[in-house]
Amino acid sequence: MTSRVMRDFDLLLPESVAEVLDLLATHKNKAAILAGGTDLLVALKFNYSVDNVISLALVPGLNGLSFDPVQGLTIGAKVTIADILKSKVVKEHYPALWQAAKVFATPQLRNTATVLGNILRASPAGDCSLALYACGGSLTLKSKRGSRQVNLDDFWISYGLTARRDDELAMALQVPAPVRGQKSAFRRMTRTKEDLSKINAAVSLQMEGDVCMSARVAMGCVGPTLLRLPKIEKMMKGSAVTDGLLQKISDQVAAEISPIDDKRSSAEYRNKVAGVLVKRVIALALNGKGNDQ
Amino acid sequence: MNDLTIVGKRVERVDVRAKVTGGALYAADVQMAGMLYGKIVRCYDYAHARVIKLDLSKAAKCKGVVRVLGPNDVTKKEYNASVLDMMVSADMRGVLGDIDDQNIFTDHVKHYGDAIAAVIATSEEAAERAAEKIIVTCEELPVYMTAEASKHPDAMQFRPEKPGNLAFQLPEMAFPNNTYAWGEVDDSFKEADIIVEDVFYVSKQKQCQMEPGAYIALYDDQERLNCWTSTQMPKLVQKKLANLFELPMTRVRINATVIGGGFGARLGMVLEPETCALAMAVPGRPVKVLSTREEDWVTSPSRHPGKYWMKMGFKKDGTPVACDAKFENYKGAYYVDASGTAFTTGAWLGGMYKFESLRYRGESYYTNQSICGAFRGYGNPQTNFVMEQLVDRACDKLGMDPIAWRKKWHKTVGDDGWCMGVPYNSCALDECLDRAAEAIGWTEKREKYKNQTGVKRRGIGVAVMNHTSGAMPMLLEHTVCDVLLHQDATATINLACSDMGQGSHTTLRQVAAESLGFPYEDVYIATGNTDAAGFDIGAHASRTLYVGGGAVKQACEDVKRQLFERAALELDEDVNNLYMEDKIIHVKGASNKSISVLTIADQGVNNFMNPENGELIGQPGQIKGYASFFPPHNAPPFGASIAEVEVDMETGEVTVIELVNAHDVGRAIHPGIVEGQLDGGAQQGLGMALTEETYYDDKGICLNNSFTDYKMLGPSDMPKMTNILVENSDPTGPFGAKGVGEAGIVPPVGATANAIFNAIGIQILEAPITPEKILKALEKKGR
Ligand SMILES: Cc1cc2nc3c(=O)[nH]c(=O)nc-3n(C[C@H](O)[C@H](O)[C@H](O)COP(=O)(O)OP(=O)(O)OC[C@H]3O[C@@H](n4cnc5c(N)ncnc54)[C@H](O)[C@@H]3O)c2cc1C
Repeated sequence: MTSRVMRDFDLLLPESVAEVLDLLATHKNKAAILAGGTDLLVALKFNYSVDNVISLALVPGLNGLSFDPVQGLTIGAKVTIADILKSKVVKEHYPALWQAAKVFATPQLRNTATVLGNILRASPAGDCSLALYACGGSLTLKSKRGSRQVNLDDFWISYGLTARRDDELAMALQVPAPVRGQKSAFRRMTRTKEDLSKINAAVSLQMEGDVCMSARVAMGCVGPTLLRLPKIEKMMKGSAVTDGLLQKISDQVAAEISPIDDKRSSAEYRNKVAGVLVKRVIALALNGKGNDQ
Repeated sequence: MNDLTIVGKRVERVDVRAKVTGGALYAADVQMAGMLYGKIVRCYDYAHARVIKLDLSKAAKCKGVVRVLGPNDVTKKEYNASVLDMMVSADMRGVLGDIDDQNIFTDHVKHYGDAIAAVIATSEEAAERAAEKIIVTCEELPVYMTAEASKHPDAMQFRPEKPGNLAFQLPEMAFPNNTYAWGEVDDSFKEADIIVEDVFYVSKQKQCQMEPGAYIALYDDQERLNCWTSTQMPKLVQKKLANLFELPMTRVRINATVIGGGFGARLGMVLEPETCALAMAVPGRPVKVLSTREEDWVTSPSRHPGKYWMKMGFKKDGTPVACDAKFENYKGAYYVDASGTAFTTGAWLGGMYKFESLRYRGESYYTNQSICGAFRGYGNPQTNFVMEQLVDRACDKLGMDPIAWRKKWHKTVGDDGWCMGVPYNSCALDECLDRAAEAIGWTEKREKYKNQTGVKRRGIGVAVMNHTSGAMPMLLEHTVCDVLLHQDATATINLACSDMGQGSHTTLRQVAAESLGFPYEDVYIATGNTDAAGFDIGAHASRTLYVGGGAVKQACEDVKRQLFERAALELDEDVNNLYMEDKIIHVKGASNKSISVLTIADQGVNNFMNPENGELIGQPGQIKGYASFFPPHNAPPFGASIAEVEVDMETGEVTVIELVNAHDVGRAIHPGIVEGQLDGGAQQGLGMALTEETYYDDKGICLNNSFTDYKMLGPSDMPKMTNILVENSDPTGPFGAKGVGEAGIVPPVGATANAIFNAIGIQILEAPITPEKILKALEKKGR
């Protein structure tokens, strides 16, 4: 049950990264970072309470969204979903991420919500997180003690829980540059268009002609965290992507996921459509069409 | 009627500027000096429990707390939040068996969110924090969430006077054998060549009005109870509160604030009793109570959900011989509206087709769900979902075109209407069907969508409906209006009718200006104050323009009559020899003989006496028009929708591609407002068919009382949509108008279900028709 009045907290408005790190070092788990606030404020109105809220609003230097053909894409902590949607390089080189941003919530939300906030929320339904999981990436986490890189593959531990330590600020995410023949795509299913995913899937494939040299296949809403599907990835590696293979993949997907019944859908339904979704997201990555065949 | 100058025009809505600029003052915006805040403590742990201990002491000691109130600190008088009992005669009230069974605060929790106690404090925050300190100890009781569960012989009884937890069935006295029926159904079925029959489920849809409940009450220094509320029916709520707190009506005043959507959620009382009880405990201080969305969800009524069985029989040539139906609804924890919807659900069924015989039973069972009550359509969407699917199943078996069958067998002028004994007096449903079919390309598409094989399959489906404009003779339809002619020849129209966003204050003003023969700018609709306004049964049942407009027209005509009488005296002419143009009254055929409305109005107020000799000049006195209006009929609106959908055979997902709605609206007083009503209705109708449902876990805890998990269609989910207004003037409506507030929600429900049937060849019996259900059904059938 939400409350009309949030519980008391101190709103802290640091003006530099150094100040943020000081505050985090002081308050540790008694503080929460506020980026766009689209998850945090909902939680604060619901049943979550915290003594200190550290806002990034006045912190400079976190807005960077840049692309380098060698280094890849860097997404700063304050980059919003709307920024992603506006970016031509993202659309061209990381279609999965762009497609996730495209269907993400509503214009108001997209203008506020950040990509890193989506990752830090560690929801098993996160759309941009899922697209980035498929593309691969590593987070820069910084504290007074220093800076470290954590690969997304190792970041989400369980529902809502991440490898971030109490005193760390996520500075940016680095996504590797696409190699030749790299293709990616994202798809989701929802109850209505403006909704959280009931199931979503993203792939990043490295193709040589018809043959898939390597694949990252990820799904959401089918386990406590976002999942990769290693068996599917293995089936694809080194194989020509034919209708026959797609059908085989489609039949295999359910064996690799463990969805539950919840308010958005049922385990039964998710198991039934997961394969269809993966088949379609691969088709979308390969030929830009994934609605059907 | 080509001489109409204001009726039929798209004038600027009276509320539009305030609403788009944020200036509109909703109840939540109202601030008063010395205002206190109330927070109601509700039970969210159980749906059915006995409170065995209530400890208010800790909360009372909290900072800012003024009073803490439990069940013993407020009136224990029981009430019925619905106002249905005030719209029928005393005799009928007895026959229906409506009872008072609600308490302001309870020690017997009967649904998730039932109210137990309250805190009054100096700020909303203080009230919220103190409310958390109230300790409620409960003993859990078994829950009964469905009619099947609560009618079980071992089930606990909700009310001693309602054995078997049967809150309502059609009463024997008015409905022999507890049925709404004609003919001999059992015999008629013997003549049938084909029979279609099934049990359907219709879901607990919520109105989802934008404004969550907000109320202020003040027991003032004249010992008057004032309540600021966005109720749909100020006059009935005034009387209900007067009864509950045992005050004369002169000591209860409702200040109707801007309404942020109603759709039935504000029909009757919602949190007015609680708010007023708090105010009575702190005389002289206004108390404000604001609901969260979740709270509003479980304290205001929803649509009646339940099991709906129906059976229809037809001859080979399509003749409908018999229809038998029973709707067992899951009423919720309290009686509210148990009778109304249980009856009308069958009335809409009876009003649609020329079955040789028909029998309907409607039963309302107490359950531990939150209450149900009025919701746009009042039983009609439920009937549409069931009746229209069965008709299409029959057409499929008979090999008949669903539109052709409907055109042949729907009821029309002269046939008994939804209320037996009151025949239809106008009907343009054939034209609605023809024009809708043409607009969407029905014939070609029906042909094209036969024998599809792909993953995405299209379907096209139709549904029709009958509805009402006010509910004469079921309800005592009555609106009072008075019109004050000012000395500058402008007029203020005073009445209680609410505008809940449906545009009624604009259309009533159009009716007033047209009836007076004044420019639109010269009239003003004054509402919102129950001290001043006469009786009215509220904004519901698509009645405001039809009945309220009838009252306005009659009161304005009364003004006009008085003007003409005075003019006749002044001009020394026969009244019948006068006419008015541009607010000047002329003598027919004598261009030099005239008097202006301004002169008459001014003379009566400012210039009625010669100061030198005290002699009266002209006709003294201010003119006031008056009407206590009872409509002669219920001007039935008819409508048809045709929907085209695409179903994904691998995922069960449905996309609505196009929707065409054609409605017999009598006359569109303001076409833009009519279109708005049809658009909004369609959004809710599609939602009922596809996504909307409030649901509970097996302990009766509501799982989706907010927009996170209750999904309405958003702008991007809406199909291409066309509204066709068929203007077939009703002989009884003001300028021929029929009610259009509810009609729009109804046929999209059946049309969508039928389009899905057309696409996949399977009917889904439970609303909403989700991808989960479709996929399961496809698998069961083996695609
Ligand atoms: C109406 C609505 C619709 C939504 N629709 C979608 C949708 O379609 N798809 C989807 O995936 N999500 C959706 N969401 C969820 C939410 O918008 C996203 O998860 C969003 O990306 C969160 O970003 P934010 O900047 O608002 O995060 P915040 O709420 O500010 O933060 C989220 C969490 O991350 C932490 N955090 C944020 N930034 C940092 C940082 N730099 N370092 C360390 N910790 C940090 C915060 O402390 C907090 O715990 C929706 C939410 C709402 C309210």
